[in-house]
Amino acid sequence: MSLFKSRRKKKTRRDVHIEQMAAIVGPDEILFEKEDLLSYDCDGFTVHKAMPKAVVFPKNTEEVAALVKYCAAHDLPFLARGAGTGLSGGAIPLNGEVIISLGKMKNLLHVDFENRQAVVQPGFVNLKLTNSISSKGYYYAPDPSSQYVCTIGGNVAENAGGAHCLKYGVTTNHILGLEVVLPNGEVIEISEDGIPDSPGYDLMGLLTGSEGTLGIVTKITVRILKNPEGKQTVLAYFDNVEDGSRAVSGIISAGIVPAALEMMDKTAIEGVEAGTFPVGHPKDIEALLLIEVDGIAAGIDEQIEQILEVCKSRNVREVKVAESEEERGKWWANRKTGFGAMGAISPDYLVQDGVIPRSRLPEVLQRITEISEESGLRIANIFHAGDGNLHPLILFDSRIPGETEKALEAGTACLKACADVGGSITGEHGVGIEKKEEMRFIFTDEELDAQTRIREVFNPEDLLNKGKLFPTPSRCMDIKTIVKDTVAVK
Amino acid sequence: MEIKDIPQSTASLVLKDEKFGNSGAELAEPTSEEEIANVLRKANEEGKKVAVVSGGTKRGYGGLKDDYDILLSLSQYKGIIEHTAGDMTVTVRPGTTIKELQEFLSDFGQMVSLDPAWPEQATIGGVIAANESGPKRMKYGSARDQVIGLRVAYPAGTIIRTGGKVVKNVAGYDMNKLFIGAMGTLGVITEITMKLRPVPKAESLVKLFVPKEQVQVLKEFIVNIQDSMVEPASLEMINPALSKKLFNREVYTLLVAFEDVENSVRYQEQWMEEHVPAGMSVDVSQGDKAKEFWRAFATLAPNSLTDQESGSTKAVLKIGTKNMDVLTMMAVEETMTDIDQLEIEIHGGLGHGITTVILTGEESQVKQAIHQFRAEAESKKGYAVVKHLPVKLRKEIDVWGKKPSYFFLFEGIKKTNDPNNTLNYQRFLGGI
Amino acid sequence: MAKSLAAQLEEAAPPCAEASPSNYLLKDHPDENKWADCVHCGMCLESCPTYLETGKEQHSPRGRVHLIKSVAEGQISVNEQFADPVFQCLDCRACTTACPADVDVGGLIEEARGQVRQALPLKGWKGAVSGFFLKGLFPHPNRMQTVGSFLKLYQKSGLQSAVRKTGALKIMPPHLADMEAIMPEIKQPVQKKFKDYKFVPAEGQTKARVAMLTGCIMDVMFSDINESTINVLTHNGNDVEIPKKQTCCGALHVHAGDRDMGRKLAKQNIEAFEDDEKVVVNAAGCGCALKEYPELFKDDPVWKEKAEVFSEKVQDISKYLYDTGYEKPKSEINKKITYHDACHLAHGQGVRHEPRQLLNDIPGVEYTEMANSDTCCGSAGIYNITNPEMAGAVLDRKMEHVPEEVEMISMGNPGCMLQMAMGVQKHGRRSEIVHTVQLLDWAYQKDKKAMESTTGKG
Repeated sequence: MSLFKSRRKKKTRRDVHIEQMAAIVGPDEILFEKEDLLSYDCDGFTVHKAMPKAVVFPKNTEEVAALVKYCAAHDLPFLARGAGTGLSGGAIPLNGEVIISLGKMKNLLHVDFENRQAVVQPGFVNLKLTNSISSKGYYYAPDPSSQYVCTIGGNVAENAGGAHCLKYGVTTNHILGLEVVLPNGEVIEISEDGIPDSPGYDLMGLLTGSEGTLGIVTKITVRILKNPEGKQTVLAYFDNVEDGSRAVSGIISAGIVPAALEMMDKTAIEGVEAGTFPVGHPKDIEALLLIEVDGIAAGIDEQIEQILEVCKSRNVREVKVAESEEERGKWWANRKTGFGAMGAISPDYLVQDGVIPRSRLPEVLQRITEISEESGLRIANIFHAGDGNLHPLILFDSRIPGETEKALEAGTACLKACADVGGSITGEHGVGIEKKEEMRFIFTDEELDAQTRIREVFNPEDLLNKGKLFPTPSRCMDIKTIVKDTVAVK
Repeated sequence: MEIKDIPQSTASLVLKDEKFGNSGAELAEPTSEEEIANVLRKANEEGKKVAVVSGGTKRGYGGLKDDYDILLSLSQYKGIIEHTAGDMTVTVRPGTTIKELQEFLSDFGQMVSLDPAWPEQATIGGVIAANESGPKRMKYGSARDQVIGLRVAYPAGTIIRTGGKVVKNVAGYDMNKLFIGAMGTLGVITEITMKLRPVPKAESLVKLFVPKEQVQVLKEFIVNIQDSMVEPASLEMINPALSKKLFNREVYTLLVAFEDVENSVRYQEQWMEEHVPAGMSVDVSQGDKAKEFWRAFATLAPNSLTDQESGSTKAVLKIGTKNMDVLTMMAVEETMTDIDQLEIEIHGGLGHGITTVILTGEESQVKQAIHQFRAEAESKKGYAVVKHLPVKLRKEIDVWGKKPSYFFLFEGIKKTNDPNNTLNYQRFLGGI
Repeated sequence: MAKSLAAQLEEAAPPCAEASPSNYLLKDHPDENKWADCVHCGMCLESCPTYLETGKEQHSPRGRVHLIKSVAEGQISVNEQFADPVFQCLDCRACTTACPADVDVGGLIEEARGQVRQALPLKGWKGAVSGFFLKGLFPHPNRMQTVGSFLKLYQKSGLQSAVRKTGALKIMPPHLADMEAIMPEIKQPVQKKFKDYKFVPAEGQTKARVAMLTGCIMDVMFSDINESTINVLTHNGNDVEIPKKQTCCGALHVHAGDRDMGRKLAKQNIEAFEDDEKVVVNAAGCGCALKEYPELFKDDPVWKEKAEVFSEKVQDISKYLYDTGYEKPKSEINKKITYHDACHLAHGQGVRHEPRQLLNDIPGVEYTEMANSDTCCGSAGIYNITNPEMAGAVLDRKMEHVPEEVEMISMGNPGCMLQMAMGVQKHGRRSEIVHTVQLLDWAYQKDKKAMESTTGKG
């Protein structure tokens, strides 16, 4: 009963597949009209767009399995989607997929403090887990910057990292068990109840980070950790990037394992200061480091002293320790919303995710500066310096003809620079469709083949998230067609 | 307790091992990756079966065959390939022993955070292939948490790199995981790159002696420890039989290790002493004394090099359960009958859920005990794998336990990598 | 070596890609610069009540921005399917706070609604009902006062209790019946009460002179809050002027897409307060609307400038008191109190700390922070009338976070007060709903009584 509620006319005639899938999930849990589908034409990677056939919202594992079985039986390509914050396009329906949204499977199923584990559904938001257990002094360690919104299912698919993985590891180090719907609709449970080292090949390890190409995760057992007793955060300003980089090596080689060791360069600082959570960093510094040490309170002070010493020996301009939880929170909010904040100084950005051996930091940052000059595009750097995971943010305006291409080229060049020093093309964002071709920077054809053959074991019909992760000769054609059809390269 | 006498050289590797099998008709001892690939390629083409060995401590671990056509030994393929201290990573050849690796790294104040058994004999290749871990896994994780890259020789002779040399990497599938704990059935690991950690500046070991009747109180105390702010590197529980052997005290013993900067370690020791429930006694070993204890601890279980004499049958079980069910595993022997000819030594980590059971005694009683431990573990949704047992008994007892519903995926992966079953055939779960 | 993605894109793009023409054909076009800042990162998702409720992207801030942009790019047109997500938005602005790039989603939504209403005018009875409230009633203080008098009569006469007893309410749509049940007691509007005053003088020495927006609904349904506001202002040395020419702020019209009416009311208010230096508002929704008047005149430079000057003068009562200083009361109000952030105060005006400080300065107040205090209660102007199911679901979610033991829930917006009162009733809670400024007023009143009795005795 409502006065104003618009009663929408169903303007599209439903095809038989829509009818059948609606019968599985219920008529309100399927989208198939153009206006509704449009919101699902991309995820956090917006360079490519493609329309799905439908979006379905299953409520439980049985419905996911039924949908997958239906798609498999009718040759409908399909893929799973969490919050859609992925930065490499893993949830973009390149082939007009049926998108299985796990957004309605968002419950915390069980917390077992004695055994230090929690069981969640895939749509459960990362930060909510910590919020749900913090009153008992526990937390969930992987903390990607999008943790306010991203789902643990998505984290598993991407093997998400975060600012604190230097000390605590990435998602794969915190997953204890998985329930998975295989591409044929069969439901399997790996390491039920989080039993360690279950005999056989480590499918859990293989599935984590497989970008939704091997199966759809429907239940996850994760490790939860006790909050460290103490935590201190240091902010250090440097007049040149080189000094900042050397301070990073200095801290690591002093035998300190910081919980986080983050760096931002001048352009990045300009962005975050123009964003929603400015800290008031000086405008003329070239680099800043955000360093966090946690653990037993009695042991932290001496580590902080050491860190301050190292910074001073590297010509730090100013270095300070957060005086309150509020100040610490402010510094982190400024850092964690860094990518989005680039919107405040540039209409578009492309974020890259290369990883390098820490010791090569100065030379690679120099190379990125050159790439910026060559392309004529500004590049901001916000990154996890402690583990060598760079995030060059290439700033561009897609409305200017040719800039999108230039940005993509600059991005590729940054990845090449990382690969050239023995690094990787992605540390936490995944390959998706974005870095498929760049996979060749680090893998030979034989190595790529070894991986695609593993995919065929799980996904022989190639209906699940097809065309992601690996370059194949035939795929080049696919991309061209898709680009023509969908990317209004503005 | 004395550290066991260890054969210093692994060069004395025997081709034939009647007791444990996994032997070969001929020995190949390559000294380069290329040679390894050649041995495999040739065998694969000729339809020969290859067994892989390195330190030789795990010949009693899985496998139904006495002899393969070729015994491929990696013991001569050793050494550090690359180590950049500032990057905190190391790349090493598989035949390097754990001890050699740690000693090399300790000069730089660094370590690989793995503490498996028999560091003087076990090689890093074998430890990774069998996914071996020790009591400090609680704090540092297991092999799957340390390995960031591998080079693997596939049976067809191709060399495949998985992962890389950087500590964070999600490019493509995490193929490293496939080879860790795969018992050499998917490829021969020829290079291993691992993350390193700084050697802790201080360490100590708090031993807590707990009379049997106080086990329930101990359980509560363990929960308290975990809920408190202390950060133990291990919470390893020891059964009375093993405790008697180690400390000459026939009570349950909890080994709580702390590793951190000096202040922090002292603070945590103190916390323990202040919070220990009445009726339990505490003994603290610091620094080198703690190190010495763990060295001895690592030699507790028999391995196929040490267990050569005839006589009583020895078996080692790896049991995986939820963390707290380790306590249940400790108590299994209480429900056992007919164990008069059996010695049962158990230690298990309450922070990681892996229990090690060492059985020594009369053959039929050993077999009986294996079944009982397995039944109990499976009732807790866990498993029991027999990781050391003579080949004769391995043919009688399924050392790996039951196959999961998704076994077909294992078969598919094996078939993809090793279609001719060239490598370590029948060494692993379900005969793959 | 494979071609890079960029190279492929270059090859694939037609030689001179032309942008499709916009499907916004009418005036007052949504501002392209507003969506240019959105990088589709998704940080807004969990802040959005309608996304939390539906789990569907088109009902999320970035989804809506994407749709609004898609119309401009000519991919979809302004139709019912577009209108649905645009009108399901609560306009709570929580996404604006969550957005790392400060995208003005609320502004875009209002502009898009303007487009929808131009393209698809409300017809039939829907149009009539909407017209009655938004055009025929709210903008006319006299008519509002008349309605108020009727309502007052309805309550005073015993008719209300009679109606409630007879169960006649059962024949009303449930959400309207719920609303009736929590209708506040109607008192005399301050516009009426002080109609012969040029201004209400400060107690003691005058420190400053402020003008007050009395609001349309506020002055009828919550005239006691207006009185409290005047009391608190005068108590702290302010002369309070109540311009007669002022009218409804127009927030509801702009929310509903009637931007023409919004502009008309805005002009009237800008003129009514032309001579004042400070405009104090006690309704967060109205305050936010006044502050956003410049948005309405982006195609009209003359009025845009006037609107900018005006919006600078507007301040919420709690912020005004906090900034200019206020006397801390001495009398105790011994209550367990929590605070609900009205969307248009917290997200719309960035006022969070000031009202909490006010509460904490009242002796005896036992303050408890509410989890998710800044999520929408579902009131959202007249959203609870237009989208009752969603509003109800949002309210239920809100009520989950209200601490069990609180005796009062304080806030700074009349719409929220009605909605939260409904929540308290629906969930069988006992908490009273109060405006922050009322509590301060009551404490001052107690101070005065105490003073009188001591001086009386002396």
